[in-house]
Amino acid sequence: MKNDKRTDQPGKEAEQEDISTEDIGPKITRRSFMKGAGAAATISAAPVYLSGISRSFAAKDGPVKIGHIEDLSGNLAVYGVQKDHAAQLAVKEINEGKTLKGGPVGSGGLGSLAEYATKPPIMGNGDKDLKFVDAGGKLDGSGMAFVEDNDVLVDSGDSGILGREVELIHPDGQSNNTIWQQLTRKLIQEDKVDCLVAGFTSAEREAIRPIVDQFKQLYIYTNQYEGGVADSNTFCTGAICEQQVIPVVDYMIQKFGPRVYTIAADYNFGQLTAAWTRAFAPQVGGEIIGEEFVPLSVSDFTTSIAKVQQAKPDWVFTLLVGSNQSNYYPQAAATGLEYPMASTVNMAQGYEHRRFKAPSLNRMYNCVNYIEEVPTMRNRAFVKRWYEMFPDDPYIGQMAQNTYFSVHMYAKAARIAGTTDQEEVKRAMESGLHIEAPEGTVFMEPSTHHCSHYIRLATADANHNVSFVREWPSIQPWWLQRIGVNLVRHKEYKQYIPDEDPFFKA
Amino acid sequence: MEVDALALSLAYQLGTNAAFLFLAAVGLIIILGMMNIINLAHGELMMIGAYIATITHHAGLPFPLAVVASFFGVAFFGAILELTIVRRFYGRELGALVVTWGISLILGQGTFLVFGPFMPAIKIPGGSSSYGSFSYSHYWLVLIAISIALIFVLYWIYRHTSYGLQARATMQNAKMANALGVPTARVYTLTFSLGAGLAGLSGALLAPTSTIAPFMGQQFVAPAFITVVVGGATNVISGAVGSSLILSAVKTPIGMALGAFSGTVALLVAALIIIRIMPNGISFTIQKYLDRRRNKKA
Repeated sequence: MKNDKRTDQPGKEAEQEDISTEDIGPKITRRSFMKGAGAAATISAAPVYLSGISRSFAAKDGPVKIGHIEDLSGNLAVYGVQKDHAAQLAVKEINEGKTLKGGPVGSGGLGSLAEYATKPPIMGNGDKDLKFVDAGGKLDGSGMAFVEDNDVLVDSGDSGILGREVELIHPDGQSNNTIWQQLTRKLIQEDKVDCLVAGFTSAEREAIRPIVDQFKQLYIYTNQYEGGVADSNTFCTGAICEQQVIPVVDYMIQKFGPRVYTIAADYNFGQLTAAWTRAFAPQVGGEIIGEEFVPLSVSDFTTSIAKVQQAKPDWVFTLLVGSNQSNYYPQAAATGLEYPMASTVNMAQGYEHRRFKAPSLNRMYNCVNYIEEVPTMRNRAFVKRWYEMFPDDPYIGQMAQNTYFSVHMYAKAARIAGTTDQEEVKRAMESGLHIEAPEGTVFMEPSTHHCSHYIRLATADANHNVSFVREWPSIQPWWLQRIGVNLVRHKEYKQYIPDEDPFFKA
Repeated sequence: MEVDALALSLAYQLGTNAAFLFLAAVGLIIILGMMNIINLAHGELMMIGAYIATITHHAGLPFPLAVVASFFGVAFFGAILELTIVRRFYGRELGALVVTWGISLILGQGTFLVFGPFMPAIKIPGGSSSYGSFSYSHYWLVLIAISIALIFVLYWIYRHTSYGLQARATMQNAKMANALGVPTARVYTLTFSLGAGLAGLSGALLAPTSTIAPFMGQQFVAPAFITVVVGGATNVISGAVGSSLILSAVKTPIGMALGAFSGTVALLVAALIIIRIMPNGISFTIQKYLDRRRNKKA
């Protein structure tokens, strides 16, 4: 853990030893860290001079191009606009010479020191700003020490990326998969983007991934999704089932009881997430007593509500997607349905708790890696920066935050590589990179190209106030590791589905 | 107890499903059924109704008055639409199809640009009561009652008012009606405006149960067209009533037994079969049956 905060810009080591970009921190100098951290130092030693050279090339190279496709119109625009704004904010910060803290931590990732601590247990510099939490996570005079960052945005010591300005090319995908494919081709072939950040639904991602692989394009998919993509060119920065489904199902069964009823959107996300629930619930004493898959076009839920009432579950797992399906909540509330609910998408994505009148989402539980209400100083600073740039936005969702830190992560990786050459940057992304995102610490797991996340169990009360009942400072994306994926050693270009794992056959 | 509870719940679901189909279709009944304009902007007219209801309701108007405001607001908008654009496309079905599709795109995206992705929700009025293990939303019961009332009001307008007589004459043979002194241009404007107003009214009525968003109208378009086409044009009102009842009678039990997906598939299959065996819609078949009985008596 000692090295997780002082590594934001290894490339500028030699030149900027004396410039402190942060006001606090352990007295481990960068140099001593670099000597100690074997693997990381090997990767980042080269750019010490490389980045110096590339800076002199700056004028010739033109801007670094980041391609970004999201739906700015059509049915999915509510999510796409948030993500587009997130990319704009990140690019603006990069061009202003800012970066998020973080850097390579070597393989192995971050240790998770506590299961229920409400604050990330980061060691401080021993005297100032040191706070303590007791075993329950409450502030206390003694116990576990932690330091809360006021903000994670620090100077990068660079302007843009490697001295080159960053240009964001962000066309509108129009909620139409065919247009997504055309735009992907255009961004790769005509604009020759250095990095592609795109994709809301799994259908959009699967529509463009073959094109990405054809051109070996560095591609970052920032959505929460069902998991399983093992693709050498693709980096997935959203949370996946093992990070969201398992914690929430475990909690709900303990708290409300074993009888689970699942209502899910009828496409690959809903089906696969429901399969995870089916496989996992029995292991913690749960039982799926009913399952219903609802087509995306359905907006009248009378019959589904009656089926839930007939089944009498202890709680309902709602995996509903899109604005048609979110009608379930007000309709269920008006019918007098008062079961506790859990989800992996609602609230954090379409801010249903802000849109619908209380108490439609009373007792809704969701394990999220981000939600605007995350009660940390660094998040409040992020939210403030966001609304200074986009004062009219209604909400900052989970995926918007993912896009934000992903763009910063790309910039970091390019600085480590010392070049925007895509193969080099991919290797740098696989160097055991971590970044201090608004949610907390995120670690890009090299072998599977997925991220460990800071997961919080958020819940809404009868007045739709959000509170956090549990926190897991780092949950690994372990499922692809379990089935033996190692993209560093073996290139792959596919999506695994739960059926390929005997774990799900039971 | 449990058996009657289930039976009552099925009856309630049948009522809500039928009311949903009827309300989704009610504006289109007039515009497609009577005027034969394939109005692809139907969903957006409902969306505007929902927006007017939301804005006026949040500005302090009680919800029932907000619904009335939506009816008149969208009827006015419909009249302007007819006078400026739609009237140039009478008799050119495909032209009308393309132009109303264009209107729907402009309205949807324009609303998105002006009002953003969502509007604040309207709380569903009324509470709920339960019987056995099932419970019922009072608001849906009110919607069922309003649907029945709308059927009678429409029937009365078209059978017992002079506008209704003129409208039926105009739709049957515009030239002849005009020659007999019916102001056909005005009748067209009024009819389109009434259809638009009804779409706005049902958009406002369904707004509390729904996400109020620029593209919310799209969810109603497919059920609306299915209901009107299955109902047929011979007698649009009885056709729409018949088709929404039959379709929901197919959808409800299958949805309850096998899930929402199977329910939706069953509805589409039923629509397919009905259109195949009654190509002119349910109302034509009913009319033929009634005519035959009348002839037998005579």
